[in-house]
Amino acid sequence: MIRRAVLIVLGLVWLGPTYLLLINAFRPAESYDAGRAWIPSGDFALLDNFARAWESANLGDSLASTALYSIVSPAAGVLIGALAGYAIVVLRLRYGFWWFLLIFGGTIFPSQMLLVPLFIGYSEAGLYDDRLGMILLYTAISVPLSAFVLRNFFTGVAFSIFEAARMDGASTGHIFLRIYLPLASSALTAVFILNFTFIWNDLLFGLTLTQTSTVRPIMTTLAGLQTDVYAGIPVPVGLAAGLVVSLPTVVVFLATQRLFARGLALGQV
Amino acid sequence: MTVATTKPGGVSRRRAPLLGTFRHGYVAPAALLVAGLLYAPFLWTVYLSFTSYDGLGDPEWTGLANFGRLLEDPALLTSLRNTLIWVAGTMLLPVGLGLLIAVLSYDLKHGVWYRLPFMLPYALSGAGLALVWSPILSHGGMVNLLFGVDTAFLQEEPTNTLALLLVWTWQQLGVNTLLFVVGLQSIPKAPIEAARIDGASGWQLFRRVIWPLMAPLTAVVVGLALVAGLKTFDIVWVMTQGGPGRNSETLAVTMYRDTFVASEYGYGSAVAVMLTVVTGLASYLYLRRQVGGTS
Repeated sequence: MIRRAVLIVLGLVWLGPTYLLLINAFRPAESYDAGRAWIPSGDFALLDNFARAWESANLGDSLASTALYSIVSPAAGVLIGALAGYAIVVLRLRYGFWWFLLIFGGTIFPSQMLLVPLFIGYSEAGLYDDRLGMILLYTAISVPLSAFVLRNFFTGVAFSIFEAARMDGASTGHIFLRIYLPLASSALTAVFILNFTFIWNDLLFGLTLTQTSTVRPIMTTLAGLQTDVYAGIPVPVGLAAGLVVSLPTVVVFLATQRLFARGLALGQV
Repeated sequence: MTVATTKPGGVSRRRAPLLGTFRHGYVAPAALLVAGLLYAPFLWTVYLSFTSYDGLGDPEWTGLANFGRLLEDPALLTSLRNTLIWVAGTMLLPVGLGLLIAVLSYDLKHGVWYRLPFMLPYALSGAGLALVWSPILSHGGMVNLLFGVDTAFLQEEPTNTLALLLVWTWQQLGVNTLLFVVGLQSIPKAPIEAARIDGASGWQLFRRVIWPLMAPLTAVVVGLALVAGLKTFDIVWVMTQGGPGRNSETLAVTMYRDTFVASEYGYGSAVAVMLTVVTGLASYLYLRRQVGGTS
């Protein structure tokens, strides 16, 4: 059948580079030869290669920073966004729609429009090349989407739940923490993961606002690795680093795939 | 405080005890973060685009001088051309091929397995993608030596931009395919069955029945590709740094280079403003066309 034939041919074309990447990432660094790159070596040197990248480029510090950024910032962002959504939808804030527009409007700016003032402002405020500065920025970036999804989610929650809890004497803060947040857990997770992925993969802000390897996020550090045949670290080491460092986003996505789909569906109510 | 400002007899007055009194406290953190770290820098960049500024001393107001210079800057023209290649390329290749693979495989038995080769590259992310492709495409790299050719994929323009575009397609195809498969599996079966009974098949079935049903989803996927194409930065920066010379730069790369390599904060801001205007304009025209097309 023609359909299957087309799919198989295209699939093989797509598998070619995948194959080259994998076997060369598993190849001992010294035995790499571009002209014989398609012959598998039969060794399992992936972890050795990664360890070598880890040492030569200080990947450990960078990974620790990125883990910090991509967990703390989306968590804070989703919480802050949820608070805003709660105030707008449940507490019926006056001019709620305008507050929402203000917050959600934060998504439309291209990163390039933020770089210069952030660089200058951070330098003057002592936040340049500082983990706190990165956490603050990534949190701000996470807020608009969180507010958007959580506002939509809370719109679908019956107001009588709030009224009943209020009649029972619960404070608005208590109701948020004990009722609305747990209800929204799947939406919270979905937004968390989207922002986690964005921050884990960020190159540009790391490039602009950090310098030292202890503060630099991992993608920026990776971008600085020179895997070339002529200069820098051996090709298998670079390949191994690229593969291993990509893993967390894949693992997080696969682990939460179902929750993710459900959360987004709910967010679109 | 809110209560005092509401109209007499307004709803809020009666509801105030129910809704709590410190309601702005809930929205304040979000508003402050967004205003301070997104809006303020945005406005500041707009201001800086009218100035000459090297990061030391104060910005000096120069009016439209930066924008005049943009029009005559040969590096910017190259950058603009490359950005257009990226936009056209991302709207055509990952989206078009994704649609093709989705249509070919969505109702096949074991369709998942046929799609797996396209999904695997999606596991690579950001700079990881660029890092692993450099040794494949570089001059002494795998493609040249394995196939016994001598092509400077990353050196000559516009070959380098096209090569990067293919790498991008290699990675993005899977997710586009997935979106189309989900869309195809959720369109109503009845019209397709009816058309089949009426004798439609193959291209005709696709063109007359499936394609119109898919149009809203396609519009979203193409729109996303449009914006992503305009903002292309990571892959170019990591694989060629916009070079050699400046011949593979995109607008986003040009902005970064002018600002942080050449320390021309005013001029770099003008490039950023231009990128924003182009993105806004393209999105507007695209949306208008989509809305106009469906009404």
